[in-house]
Amino acid sequence: MSRHVTARPLGRALLLLFVVMASHAHAQTPPDLSGAWAPYRGGRGADPKLNPPPPTPIVLKAPYAKPYDERRAAEADAIKRGEPLGTAAVQCVPYGFPRMMAVASYPAEIIQRPSQITIVTEAFSEVRRVYMNQPQQPIDEVPPGYYGHSVGKWEGDTLVIDTVGIKESVLGYQNTPHSSQMRITERIRLVTPDMLHDQITVEDPVVLEKPFTYTLAYRRMPDYKMVEFVCENNREYLDEKGAVKMKLRERE
Amino acid sequence: MRTRLCQAGLTSLRSSSYGGPPEPRRRRKTRLYVGVLLCATFATSHTLLAHHSFAMFDTAKRVTMSGTVTGFEWTNPHVYIEIDVPGDKGAVKHWSVELGSPSILMQAGWKFSDVKVNDKITVVLNPLRSGEAGGLLVTATVRDGRVLGNGPGRVGGQP
Repeated sequence: MSRHVTARPLGRALLLLFVVMASHAHAQTPPDLSGAWAPYRGGRGADPKLNPPPPTPIVLKAPYAKPYDERRAAEADAIKRGEPLGTAAVQCVPYGFPRMMAVASYPAEIIQRPSQITIVTEAFSEVRRVYMNQPQQPIDEVPPGYYGHSVGKWEGDTLVIDTVGIKESVLGYQNTPHSSQMRITERIRLVTPDMLHDQITVEDPVVLEKPFTYTLAYRRMPDYKMVEFVCENNREYLDEKGAVKMKLRERE
Repeated sequence: MRTRLCQAGLTSLRSSSYGGPPEPRRRRKTRLYVGVLLCATFATSHTLLAHHSFAMFDTAKRVTMSGTVTGFEWTNPHVYIEIDVPGDKGAVKHWSVELGSPSILMQAGWKFSDVKVNDKITVVLNPLRSGEAGGLLVTATVRDGRVLGNGPGRVGGQP
């Protein structure tokens, strides 16, 4: 009886020590995300727990909502006519961030170093560099570009990335417009050892009524070798109406 | 294509009992709804993911043709096969066929050396709506007899 009384507190203390040490070690060693990842879109037989949650609604401010809706309607009409309207990608112009994060079934490669995380996507060989544990620059000091300026930090097991400085001509999720004041926050974490979720929140006080969030899922591709992508032979072109056409070759 | 896949998938969902005992009607219904929901999700995500719409090709139509390869362009953003197709009285018509990108085709089992100039080839394609001699590949029967598709998932899976 007396043995039990002394053993219990000792056991608890040891357990507590173990938990503290484990969580301490955990906080110091972020998960290794290095390697190739393929977009994961669930489908039949998929585990619904691994599917990303649905996106929140995109609410544009009135001056932006009308042209956006008109453009969407024009796109839908053009597709019905069989003359789809062109996008920048048809002219071999890369997607930029954030659309580069989900292009068909093209994988993305993550290269993880303590000071920098680099993300290379296969379509158009797009590259993002995330500088770790640095303060973000003021938006107005970042030259507008396709990938902007990204800083990252680990919050426990979650990689949090803050991005500003995306060029206004680089369209966003669902081709949404944005201003120079857009800020994108990503929360990237392993939901299982081989499944990654990237929760993307877009804030833009000029264009959006309120921020919106969508989540992309990826599955690990062990041993995958990224394929090069140089957009050298673009046989799609835009005709005078801005519709996509295909260049044909004559018989040699 | 995806719509068709969805239709096929739903039909099999509707009819299949997965070889097990018959399911209660309610569960069958639930499964069907989940299928419809998934297909709807895919249909809407289409515009987000596609480099361009495939509306210039008539994806409801399939044309099969055999001929001689005059060019094979293993390039981005698309791979192309150029084919001389013999017609009546020695007339030859030239066709240009668009495929996915090398990356997407490799995911579907293609190699850069699967087609060479002067190979005999049979292709099934969705022709251009304009009536010009071009189309989007559905399948190709290459020189060793293998039948290769145009990439996983959506038509071609182009960027």
